[in-house]
Amino acid sequence: MDKKNKLIAIVGAANVLDDPKTLEAWSQDESFVPARRPWFVVRPQNLEQVQALVQWANETRTPLVPVSSGAPHFHGDTVPSVPEAVIVDLSGMNKIIKIDRRNRMVYVEPGVTYAELAPALAAEGLRISTPLKPRPNKSVMASLLERNPTQIPRLNFSLPEPLRALGVVWGTGDVAFTGDAGSGPLSLEAQWQKNLAQIDPKGPNATDLMRLMTGAQGTMGIAAWASVRCELLPSARSYHFLPAEKLESLVDFCHQLERDRLGDEVFVLNAAQAARLFAASPDEIGSLQEALPQWMVVVGISGAAFYPEERVAVQEKDLQIMAQKFSLSLLPSLPGVTHAQVSQALYGCSQENYWKLAPKGGNQELFFLTTLDKAPGFVATVQAIAAELKFPINDLGVYIQPQHQGVSQHVEFNLPYNPKCEKEVAKVKAIFEKASAALLADGAYFSRPYGSWAAPVYNRDATAKHVLQVVKNILDPNNVMNPGKLCF
Amino acid sequence: MEISRDAYRAIEDIVGAENISDDPAFLDSYAFQWLAELVRPENSHYMPRPWAVVLPATTEEVQAIHRVCNKYGIKIKPISTGWYHWAAPMKDNEPTIQIDLRRMDKIISIDEKNMVAVVEPYVTCAQLQAEVMKLGLNINIIGAGCSTSIVASASTYFGAGPSSYYMGNNSDNLLGQEWVTPGGDVVLTGSLSSDCGWFCGEGPGPSLRGVTRGNMGSRGGLGTYTKCAIKLAPWHGAAVLEPQGPPPAYRLPIPENTRVYTIGVPSWDAFAETYLNIYDNEIGYIFHRQFNLAGADLAPALWLTYLRPDGTMNDVETASKDPEMQKLADEGRISFQIILQGRSVDEVKLQDKILDAIMAKTGAYKVGRFCEQDFAEFTHMYLQRLGHKHCNFIWVGGYMGSWMQAGIPDFVKNYSPVAIDGFYRDQKQSDGLVQCGGDALMGCGSSISGGGYFGFEQFVSYDPNDKASVQACVKHMYDAIDDCKANGIPLGKEYIYLMIGWPDEQIWNDFSKAPQTFVLHFQRKIKEHFDPRELGDRNYPWLPKGMGQPNFITQS
Amino acid sequence: MALEDFRADAMRCTRCAYCKWIPFDHVKSWKYAKGCPSIEAGKFHSYSAGGRLVTALSLMDGRSTVTPAVEDSVFKCTMCGLCDVSCKLCRYDMEPLAAMSELRATLVEDGHVPAQVEPILKSLRTEFNMLQKPRAERGNWAKELGLKDLSKEQAEVVFHAGCRYSFDGDLGHVAKASVKILKQAGLDFGIMGENESCCGGRAHTMGHRKDMHTRATHNLTAWKKAGVKTIVTPCSDCYHAFKRLYASTEGSEIQVLHMVEIVDQLLKDGKLKLTKAVNKKVTYHDPCHLGRQGEPFVAWNGVEKKIFGQAVAYEPARPRYNGAFGIYEAPRNILKAIPGLQFVEMERIKEAAWCCGSGGGCKETYPDFALSTANQRLDEAQSTGADAIVSACPWCERNFLDANQEGASKLEVLDIIALVEQAL
Repeated sequence: MDKKNKLIAIVGAANVLDDPKTLEAWSQDESFVPARRPWFVVRPQNLEQVQALVQWANETRTPLVPVSSGAPHFHGDTVPSVPEAVIVDLSGMNKIIKIDRRNRMVYVEPGVTYAELAPALAAEGLRISTPLKPRPNKSVMASLLERNPTQIPRLNFSLPEPLRALGVVWGTGDVAFTGDAGSGPLSLEAQWQKNLAQIDPKGPNATDLMRLMTGAQGTMGIAAWASVRCELLPSARSYHFLPAEKLESLVDFCHQLERDRLGDEVFVLNAAQAARLFAASPDEIGSLQEALPQWMVVVGISGAAFYPEERVAVQEKDLQIMAQKFSLSLLPSLPGVTHAQVSQALYGCSQENYWKLAPKGGNQELFFLTTLDKAPGFVATVQAIAAELKFPINDLGVYIQPQHQGVSQHVEFNLPYNPKCEKEVAKVKAIFEKASAALLADGAYFSRPYGSWAAPVYNRDATAKHVLQVVKNILDPNNVMNPGKLCF
Repeated sequence: MEISRDAYRAIEDIVGAENISDDPAFLDSYAFQWLAELVRPENSHYMPRPWAVVLPATTEEVQAIHRVCNKYGIKIKPISTGWYHWAAPMKDNEPTIQIDLRRMDKIISIDEKNMVAVVEPYVTCAQLQAEVMKLGLNINIIGAGCSTSIVASASTYFGAGPSSYYMGNNSDNLLGQEWVTPGGDVVLTGSLSSDCGWFCGEGPGPSLRGVTRGNMGSRGGLGTYTKCAIKLAPWHGAAVLEPQGPPPAYRLPIPENTRVYTIGVPSWDAFAETYLNIYDNEIGYIFHRQFNLAGADLAPALWLTYLRPDGTMNDVETASKDPEMQKLADEGRISFQIILQGRSVDEVKLQDKILDAIMAKTGAYKVGRFCEQDFAEFTHMYLQRLGHKHCNFIWVGGYMGSWMQAGIPDFVKNYSPVAIDGFYRDQKQSDGLVQCGGDALMGCGSSISGGGYFGFEQFVSYDPNDKASVQACVKHMYDAIDDCKANGIPLGKEYIYLMIGWPDEQIWNDFSKAPQTFVLHFQRKIKEHFDPRELGDRNYPWLPKGMGQPNFITQS
Repeated sequence: MALEDFRADAMRCTRCAYCKWIPFDHVKSWKYAKGCPSIEAGKFHSYSAGGRLVTALSLMDGRSTVTPAVEDSVFKCTMCGLCDVSCKLCRYDMEPLAAMSELRATLVEDGHVPAQVEPILKSLRTEFNMLQKPRAERGNWAKELGLKDLSKEQAEVVFHAGCRYSFDGDLGHVAKASVKILKQAGLDFGIMGENESCCGGRAHTMGHRKDMHTRATHNLTAWKKAGVKTIVTPCSDCYHAFKRLYASTEGSEIQVLHMVEIVDQLLKDGKLKLTKAVNKKVTYHDPCHLGRQGEPFVAWNGVEKKIFGQAVAYEPARPRYNGAFGIYEAPRNILKAIPGLQFVEMERIKEAAWCCGSGGGCKETYPDFALSTANQRLDEAQSTGADAIVSACPWCERNFLDANQEGASKLEVLDIIALVEQAL
């Protein structure tokens, strides 16, 4: 019980949980990663407590698994890989520290969710580019740290955008800020007094510390705050759909669209994914899917600041010309989908019942990065494997999200299933494993190698793996930060 | 510095006798570097002479050279297009091989659809820009101009330029890269490490590029970057730039979808307001304060003379006394250049209209003479290609940028007057510096991708052929540091420049007082792993164990 | 001038490397961005203008000595002057070409002469040409043309064929074509025939200034005796020597015209009509000595002064040679006036033209380097889709012909005056 007492001393008794139900809930997620029960769940309330926890973990060689978002979790990164782990539940650190309208920055703690942030920003006339219809309890920081794709590629000057600077408790137990914040005093308030705004993600010095935190699945340290760039909240908006029977028919158009940085929200869906995204309720999904085109590009257009309506009009005209050039039609709406449903999908959060789980209760995601020209080939690969393993092909959802201003594409497959049906679970698992191997072999880039993806990804390049292990060893010498993940 | 001839022969065997030299005059051509005179004993123009210079042609040759250097304990200093005092060996008593990468000069590929180019270190921005413009694409050319190496600015040095505002800083434009560590290992980053091509610089998992890219990059201090991929940006102009007119002020016609303006503002407050409005309104393709490098007092006289192919500095002197020119200097005293480019004519018309609205709101105005066709076309050429960047040295060949502190507009508007007063004071105290007025602040509209954060540097011009002038510049550098400290402003570029001449202990002493030293210890540990024989120099800086604020990483 | 006079240039060089490239605004491709043949061959920084400035400084300060490597880096340069144009895009206080010339002359004075130069110099000194041909054969091209011999007669205009057109069998027809045009225009002119002497320009660019002085003295004396006020030449090397070098070193004020200037003016005045179609697609190579180095000479004898505290100006104002006023339009006007001719430009043109490789004595001293430089130009010419490369200098043409013999391209190599003759 020494451990528990020590934890209680750090975060307080109310914030140390070890009841079986809680531990059971944290022992698994929606992925196929094997379940493992943590020893404790702790809920720090501030950076100092986080630092104390990490220092204690180093002293006791106790594994920590940092988690910011509320359940459900999907990729196995929040499930302990080793025994005797402590879940560090950061959801209680949920302050929006500051909204700086003048410089269009917001400062958040890890527990701040998209559902909380959006209205707070809107009140200041701001917004941030979000993942596609995130679940309301999804942590903004966790999403950015894990390089979840966001919907507006033209704003995506880098994959971590709009993440800028972090305040980090590193695996060593040291606190150090990243980016330009790493050059100033170790206090946000002190930096603000000097008119420093934590906007530059580079550095400090010759290192991009922030980039060592991204994609790390909590293996390098725990970020206690982040600065995030915001956009002006549009005062005029429209959206458009460009349908096609084949994905291939959309590729050249999308290349052009992304190159010209036309529009805000830009992504590609197949009918199955679109039906789930836009349906007002799970019951509607089937009929909606029937009515929708096989493939579509979704383009959101907006205008803010001066002349917002004219901005929308000019973009719409350019979009129209571009669509004609590629012999695509431009639809103002989709059959059976209301304006409110589209708005919710593009600009809002999911309902409590997360839209990806809504159809069947379970959903396996399979995603990677590639370039747009290669996307149709990967889609064909997964479709073939799904068909081979008798998965209803019409249920296979596909979402392609341009990233990094169109240079890379997040390609995501969604395989809904009934988690209570062992047969379905086994089938989806088999597809997942077979498709993952096939995609990897074909050159799909698993930039966020969760769970079983990690080993084959890191085995591809022993040198890069070694360098990463050196970095890990420096930043977390006792391997207390989420051990067992990635190549650690 | 004598080293076993075996080392020379070993490297000669790698690259061939014609690609290595230790001829003293050849070596001097590498030791002679801009800014050396500001930091070297007796204001010498020479940095330490390399032990030899070698010209590898492939990554494998670079790797083999590194390994020989490890065996014989020879320091490594790679250069691409090769510029600045930190491009040279750092210390007199350390044998260093200068790796001149000019034979690695190929554009490996341009992927038009996915907007990715892969280049070797000696590909200049001008070359790649010319090739990608044919495909309707563009690249962010850094502030130092189009003569610079893309690999250098993306992988290992600052990556900002006038177009970073729209096209992104090259730190963000960096995709996959190939890094030969001092130990001779080839590290591939991003998608390259998974053998999936060059298109992504992040991951898998944490991004290895984070180890060395940072803010300044490692500047040749931690091995050699032999290739990188760079993200390209949209270009809606001509496939081939066709400059018009005689040298030096070539002019680029302005097409219907483009506008080129010099915008003036009445005060630094108005500057910040105008900046923030432009940023909020997301207009502009290139955003820069360019022509003020000549100093606000003299800029019109210089640039209007520059337009004439036979104009001389004597003409500048005459023009500067012309009351009309002085009036123009006042009109453009706080000004900047902006180029609007639309994907369509309608779009640029709207941007133009938005700019008008911004000016009406903030009191900004178009500087009339600088917006006339001849000057606007010259501005267009200058900023699209950045092929005149060495006008930095136009007065007398010596230029040092002080006060290069980037920040939010409110930060810049506050430090600019301090920088102006300090520079003006130093100009008046001696005749060692070019007297161009206190405001020779120049800089790009964004130091980072997309705007919101920028900075200016004072263009301090001095005569490298006049020791007293060189020393006046050095004095100004220390004065600027004192001004920063007195006003609570972070130290700028002059500090980084001066540091090149300091002994390790002095640097470490300074570093140890930094508010955060974590990263310097991280870098020490990285160096211990990847450069155990310390073949790289302190351009990849570190702090010795135990220095700085006590914490875990400091002590370990 | 002495090398020491260029110390300030060296000290003020910022190693920006503009001297290695064509003016950046003119860069239209990866391939044809390069501007310096020397560093393309030699690769080390010392093979650039900036590198040579450091070499000069290093030698002056006794930091290094003249080694075979230094000799190679100093002399393996065509002295084409593109570095000078590019440098001066941003600088008013640098004269890199003049400094390189001074460095060469200094090395020569100190006895550092590449061995292969000796027989060429001997020919110049005894046979008045650098092609190692008997002096007596010099006027052969003009036999039976009935031209005035100005060694015996008087005329205000002398036609100077130059060594290459006089002795090179493949190019002699250009001299004949030139005089045919001059005759047709009704010009009163003569030639020096056997008594014509090399201009000495190549010797000067190779660092042998005394040899040029000897040749210049010979020529100027002969012309004076013949009452010559204007020199007309189809050779750009001679043109440059007479117009710039004689003016600057000998104080010559004689008018110098290249044949392209004469033809251009005749066409403008309607005194020459081109009527025959020449159905070719051609591109034009600007000779360095007609183009960027063909600017008018302006006498200057001044000193540096400081303005605005430290900025450099000169008292009186120093003339600015930056390639702006070279002879570019005359040859282009001519080509555009030839019926049936399709004229296309290369990427590197006018002041930004890539050298043929022949200049600076390299044709004689570093033939492989000269040919590899020509190859690169022919490659560029070929990329335009042209059938022929046209120039206005026999040294360029000879080098292109030689490169073609080694398989560089299948382009026809034509002299612009010969082309005019075809169109008459």
